[in-house]
Amino acid sequence: MMAAPGLVLSNISKRFAGVSALKGVELTAAPGEAMALLGANGAGKSTLMNILGGVIQRDEGVALLDGHPLDLASPRAARAQGIAFVHQELTMLPTLTVAENIMIDHLPTVGGLIDFKALKRRTQDLLTRLGCRFDADTRVGDLGPGDQQMIEVARALSRESRVVIFDEPTSSLTEPEKQRLFGVIQGLKSEGVIVIYITHFLDEVFATCDRVTVMRDGMLVSTGPVSAHTVASLAHEMLGEGSLAGDIPTAVPPADEVILSVAKLTRARVLSDVSFEVRSGEIVGLWGLLGSGRTELLRALVGLDPIDSGSIRLKSSGHLVTVTPSQLSRSTAFVTEDRRGEGIFPGQSVEQNLSLPTLRQLLNRFGLVDRSRERSLADDLIGRLGIKTSGRGQDIATLSGGNQQKIVFGRWLGSQPTVFLLDEPTRGLDVGAKTEILRLAVEIANGGGGVLLVASEPEELMRVCHRYLLMDRGRIVGELGRGATRDDLVARVSNRAVDEVLQ
Amino acid sequence: MTSASSSEIWSVKRLRSLIGQIGFPIMLLLLFIFFSAATPGFLSIANLAALAHALAPVAIIASGLAMVVMAGNLDISVGSIAFLSVSIGWSLLGLGLPVPLVALVIVVSGGVLGAVNAFIVVVLRINSLITTLGTMIAFRGLALELSGTNSHTLPDGVRELGNQAIGPIFVDSIIALLVVVAIHVLHQRTAYGRQLAAVGNSALIASKIGLPVGRVIFVAFVISGCLAGLGGIFATLQVGALTAFLGRGLEFNAVAVIVVGGISLFGGAGNVLSGILLGAVTFEMIRNGLNHLDANPYAYRPISGLLIFMAMYADSFRSRGHRRK
Repeated sequence: MMAAPGLVLSNISKRFAGVSALKGVELTAAPGEAMALLGANGAGKSTLMNILGGVIQRDEGVALLDGHPLDLASPRAARAQGIAFVHQELTMLPTLTVAENIMIDHLPTVGGLIDFKALKRRTQDLLTRLGCRFDADTRVGDLGPGDQQMIEVARALSRESRVVIFDEPTSSLTEPEKQRLFGVIQGLKSEGVIVIYITHFLDEVFATCDRVTVMRDGMLVSTGPVSAHTVASLAHEMLGEGSLAGDIPTAVPPADEVILSVAKLTRARVLSDVSFEVRSGEIVGLWGLLGSGRTELLRALVGLDPIDSGSIRLKSSGHLVTVTPSQLSRSTAFVTEDRRGEGIFPGQSVEQNLSLPTLRQLLNRFGLVDRSRERSLADDLIGRLGIKTSGRGQDIATLSGGNQQKIVFGRWLGSQPTVFLLDEPTRGLDVGAKTEILRLAVEIANGGGGVLLVASEPEELMRVCHRYLLMDRGRIVGELGRGATRDDLVARVSNRAVDEVLQ
Repeated sequence: MTSASSSEIWSVKRLRSLIGQIGFPIMLLLLFIFFSAATPGFLSIANLAALAHALAPVAIIASGLAMVVMAGNLDISVGSIAFLSVSIGWSLLGLGLPVPLVALVIVVSGGVLGAVNAFIVVVLRINSLITTLGTMIAFRGLALELSGTNSHTLPDGVRELGNQAIGPIFVDSIIALLVVVAIHVLHQRTAYGRQLAAVGNSALIASKIGLPVGRVIFVAFVISGCLAGLGGIFATLQVGALTAFLGRGLEFNAVAVIVVGGISLFGGAGNVLSGILLGAVTFEMIRNGLNHLDANPYAYRPISGLLIFMAMYADSFRSRGHRRK
């Protein structure tokens, strides 16, 4: 059999803790070709690329480059075979200089010592090629995210590569920086390098890529030339038809009482002039692609990221009172997609995880935690939320994702917050668990709370939301009412992108 | 939220980082002037040479430890490595081996013991503090078994080596300086040294970039072990005997030197040359100066404790900036 030139990934499968992340995915790319890899949040793009980059190991499947099997046992092995990876989460070494960061795995040496002249010259060449204006001797920790993203790109270009993976390379870049990056990608293509380009900005696909592969739920949806697509057809393939499963009791129409009012919230390069209100009993969907600012908005509201200007007012004993993000966070429940990283305490029991934010209310007269009250709180929440566990003493790490997420929710129910910020609370859960989580959101709203819900799938929002705020590039660009259809939502994402292309 | 308040915060930050960077050298200078003025004996060539002599072993050991700390790990077994490797050398000396060969064996033994630490940390993936807490106890036990609990006076020919000097400067001071410079060059100017700093920034990111994280940490522990052996030789020579107390507390003195020298326990940041010299001189100068003042002999300990807290505090707000992003 003649070995085909180029990259072949065949039948790649990967499971995490029993949950399928990739199911028999195929991907091929020829030399000199830029392949766009698209998919909604959680579709498996990053998992696939992490396998190609040696960051994680596949369970099954074949990886070939020019017909030869690739050794992808570690990032080091992948890199040695010409696979460069521009990570979405920047891999910067803040205490080292720009030059050291770029060349760290192949520093030029003379007689065992680093040849700093050559190091600087080579780095400066790369920086010039990328149009960066900072100095090669700058400490990377002193640079902003946009510059760091360019360093990430420079590092990938610093060695001869056969394949360069760009995982959302433009999220912190300015327009001119972006254009220079596209120029570099054209250059790579003309040198015969294979470019794999992950993005959520569909217009970038048309600007840089030749072919496009779309993934959904860990599976390949389609692959073909970019010219056969429109932005709308790509959005459609990414988001799928969707399927409704499980009834959710209709949320009661919201009362007219505003409980949260946000005005002109701004954070440089991330959020601009975001204003909106949430009423008691209301579930508001934040709709936009990843990178539209939806997660950033939630983080800024509770003070996880700093804000530059804007005001937040919260209902407090009958009046709207101006509060700081950290004050808001005290009456807010924040549930993120990143359960393992931010939500649960693995190694501790279900009971300990549930009672954590309310421990102060469980103290007995000696100032110690009243174990029997803690137990009854835990049992009460386990029953109310329908958590499937062998008992309150079970280690939370051994529960399924859906049950872990219920506990993250349940924790907050004990302390009765007024505002719930839910950032993809159903990510990675199966259909049944998704329904139960959404049902909880409705229950919260019915109890008078206000909910801001972020989800990547329009169906999820449509099942529970009273209205939708449409976000794009850090702004609220529109609003749709309850009657909006799935097509309306999808169209708003793609129309916006079409506008950008036409500009 | 206004621009005025943010620039104000910025200048407070600047001031803090400035104090963090030059606060210790200034304090050291003031102390030096104070001791020189307050006591007649402090500012003499003989006393300063004695000071440099006394700090040599801990400076050598702290240099090796600095490599481990730069990589974001800790090695508190260095005192016990010094004791055990010197005990091994003592046994060989008894068999009539020549002194230079014994010295070499001691250094190599230190390296092997460092490799044992490295194996547990890198291959078995045990936290380095726990690992070296264990080997600190175990190595000391083996050394006591080997050398007995009695102290052994060194043979006259060997003991004299501890007092060798070129002019007023003791040879071990010179060797300590050479070691510190060599480690500084290794850290600052070799590919290995830069990768060490990269691993210290974040082992996870370093491995994503494709650096040989395990190998880098392994080598750091071996260097630390070798220099613990070398430092142990000079510590023994200074006492003139192999005692059961050799190296006891040395690990903590070495950690204190590193911290006060501004080498971050968070890993990845610090300057070996200025850091080790600054740290070692600070502690020895306070000890020496207090002696000359006829101060309460116990005063040295609380003062060093205070110094370590201050240095850690400076380090924590120096490191906070780039790590919280």
